[in-house]
Amino acid sequence: MRTGHFKESYASLVALNDSHVVWAWTAVLLAGLLALPLFAGNYPLSLASAALIAVVGAVGLNLLTGTTGLISIGQSGFLAIGAYTNGLLLADYDWPLWATMPAAGILSALISLLVGIPSLRLKGLYLAITTLAFAFIVTHIILYAEDITHGPNGVFLPKVTAFGFDLSRDRPFFYFTLAFTILAILLALNLSRTRIGRAWMAIRDHDIAARVMGIDLVRYKLLAFMISSFIVGIAGALMSLQIRFVNTDVFGLILSIEALAMIILGGLGSIAGAVLGAVFLSLLPEVIRLAFETFGDPSSTTYTTYVYEIRGIAYGVVIVAFLRFKPEGLIGLWRDAKRYWTNWPLAY
Amino acid sequence: MKSLVLGFAALLMSSSAYAADPGVTDTEIKIGDVNILTGPASFIGRAVSVGSKMAAAEINEAGGVNGRKIVIATEDDGYVPARSFQGLKKLIESDEIFALNGTSGTANILAMLPLIEENNLPTVVTTTPAELVYKPVRPSVFVIGARYVDAFYGQLKYIHDKLEPANPVYGLIRQDDDFGVTVEGGYDRAVKEFGVKDGIRLKFKRGTTNFSAEVLQLRAAGVNVLANGGIIAGAANILGEARKLSMDMQVASVWSEDMPPSVKLSAPAGYAYLVGDYVALNDQATDAFDATAKKYLSEGEVAAINRYSYITYVGLKVLAKAMEGCGKELTRACTIEQLRKIKDFDTGGLTAPISFDNDLQLSGTSLKIYQLDPKTQKFTTLQDFTDFSAK
Repeated sequence: MRTGHFKESYASLVALNDSHVVWAWTAVLLAGLLALPLFAGNYPLSLASAALIAVVGAVGLNLLTGTTGLISIGQSGFLAIGAYTNGLLLADYDWPLWATMPAAGILSALISLLVGIPSLRLKGLYLAITTLAFAFIVTHIILYAEDITHGPNGVFLPKVTAFGFDLSRDRPFFYFTLAFTILAILLALNLSRTRIGRAWMAIRDHDIAARVMGIDLVRYKLLAFMISSFIVGIAGALMSLQIRFVNTDVFGLILSIEALAMIILGGLGSIAGAVLGAVFLSLLPEVIRLAFETFGDPSSTTYTTYVYEIRGIAYGVVIVAFLRFKPEGLIGLWRDAKRYWTNWPLAY
Repeated sequence: MKSLVLGFAALLMSSSAYAADPGVTDTEIKIGDVNILTGPASFIGRAVSVGSKMAAAEINEAGGVNGRKIVIATEDDGYVPARSFQGLKKLIESDEIFALNGTSGTANILAMLPLIEENNLPTVVTTTPAELVYKPVRPSVFVIGARYVDAFYGQLKYIHDKLEPANPVYGLIRQDDDFGVTVEGGYDRAVKEFGVKDGIRLKFKRGTTNFSAEVLQLRAAGVNVLANGGIIAGAANILGEARKLSMDMQVASVWSEDMPPSVKLSAPAGYAYLVGDYVALNDQATDAFDATAKKYLSEGEVAAINRYSYITYVGLKVLAKAMEGCGKELTRACTIEQLRKIKDFDTGGLTAPISFDNDLQLSGTSLKIYQLDPKTQKFTTLQDFTDFSAK
């Protein structure tokens, strides 16, 4: 087993990963995901698709908050823009899906400039509040622009096909979502290895030092907003395809908070962490439900009366406990486990 | 031989058609509900669950539906539409429900509609009689409940005809959304029909908590008959501000204002406000319901009872009646057909008799008018179930 990293060529320096073991396990994971619809029922597949959409959104947010250090709690706004763009273009303008999906990302990216430009002078909590206000503005504009957005009535999406497959069915939709998830992860991984990614990290670690080193803060911060929002807009479009109904209530503040929780719980700044965090938080309620069904006493009055509140509390407790005992997140846990087995039996 | 083959084929086809509808076994029928069981609005979802549970217990004790017991499967959506979608997905795919009774909030049922339509799921909507749910008509969706437009018109008509305030100046405050538009519809019809002075119409954004400026405008306009389109805390804040300004007025309210949590918030302002509701609140029907509840429910569940319990109870009873009409060969298609035939179904006074034999598959549109006694926090019935819809 490999015990360290020694890079001997430029090729190994720029490779996505130079470990054959990692590539082998990635192939196994991918094969498992591709085979999942053959074994899983429609409901588990629907959950898996929702988790993959969460991964796309978390990967997008991670570029902005984790990699560049710009805190955003306006993700629900960008998700709404993506979902509404996709929904309206499909339902009212009969655009084909191959055009609505990129349009959702592009419009989200363009609108992100509106919040990106003021953010150039804002950091930390000030920026967080600005992005939060942006999400509220998006909601109000959607409600007011009734002629375009249908206002509070929302938009029902028509049945959509991709390559001849009906996306309202769980199997094709899972593969469709999986494809976008892989693209989003590859985009994020590649970006983080380029000059752009390194510039973002420099801005996150010390923006003044980054500027002294010749990094154009305006350009790179705006780029972070645009690329992150593009990916989040795509996640919104995928959401609209899964639920097939879009209105402002779908994009509550809770979505922004959950997105932040995903990247913090996964491990801030790490793409693998964002993936793990999104999957973990998406599936946690289901895991807790199964645990309650397995170990709870359905005949007890306390159980029947308060089970949903207790499950809600358990969800919160798991997150708090995790952050208390593993502040570096799931990716930290993964690294510890890897280090332990790499050094075994010498580990202590 | 040919007839034998045809008979065998017919048997195969009939059994496969029968088997195609999940949620029914020889002994059970599984009915689902997706509800708000966590979060600030969980008092609604808990009340809904209690209503379903009690109706199922009663039906089962009486022998079930053609010998089959009703089993309830509940999913929590926390009032989040995306979770409503996932919850219903689970109920359909994993729990394999036969029908749905209990559908959370308006946006939540809208998010569930594509799944409901695709699965031809017999659905009785009891908590959100919003126009968006029944227009356009979805074949498998049946709605119990009145229109806000009629609820406000009915209350204002009662004020105009019976309470007869001196020198009336009418005023409206409503949310700036689709719900607010329906409230204004009732107000608009009333002021035009009565020929009274339309003092002022105000809008506010959802989530507004401070109404001091709006109430000052109401006072400046001389309003003494108010159509209060605020909900729960919003309605209470409006009344609280009006009391600070010592405004003397008759108030018409949204039906959410007859629930105990709303009354606790609004009653301290001291206004004997009116409510128009399609559900009984305080008569023999609800007394009988509450007494029976103690037989089937725990103490905590009895404490959770409110108007949503009554209406969901009625919903399951109607659904059971329709399923009963199908006999042993229970299918979704047959249940939907039977629901369409429901006419004058007696709910024991919990609502007006239920009839779905109309173009919208909408029933229970008649309203009772109640008035709150702010001291005792109890409601008095001013007018029995009346149809206020425009003819």
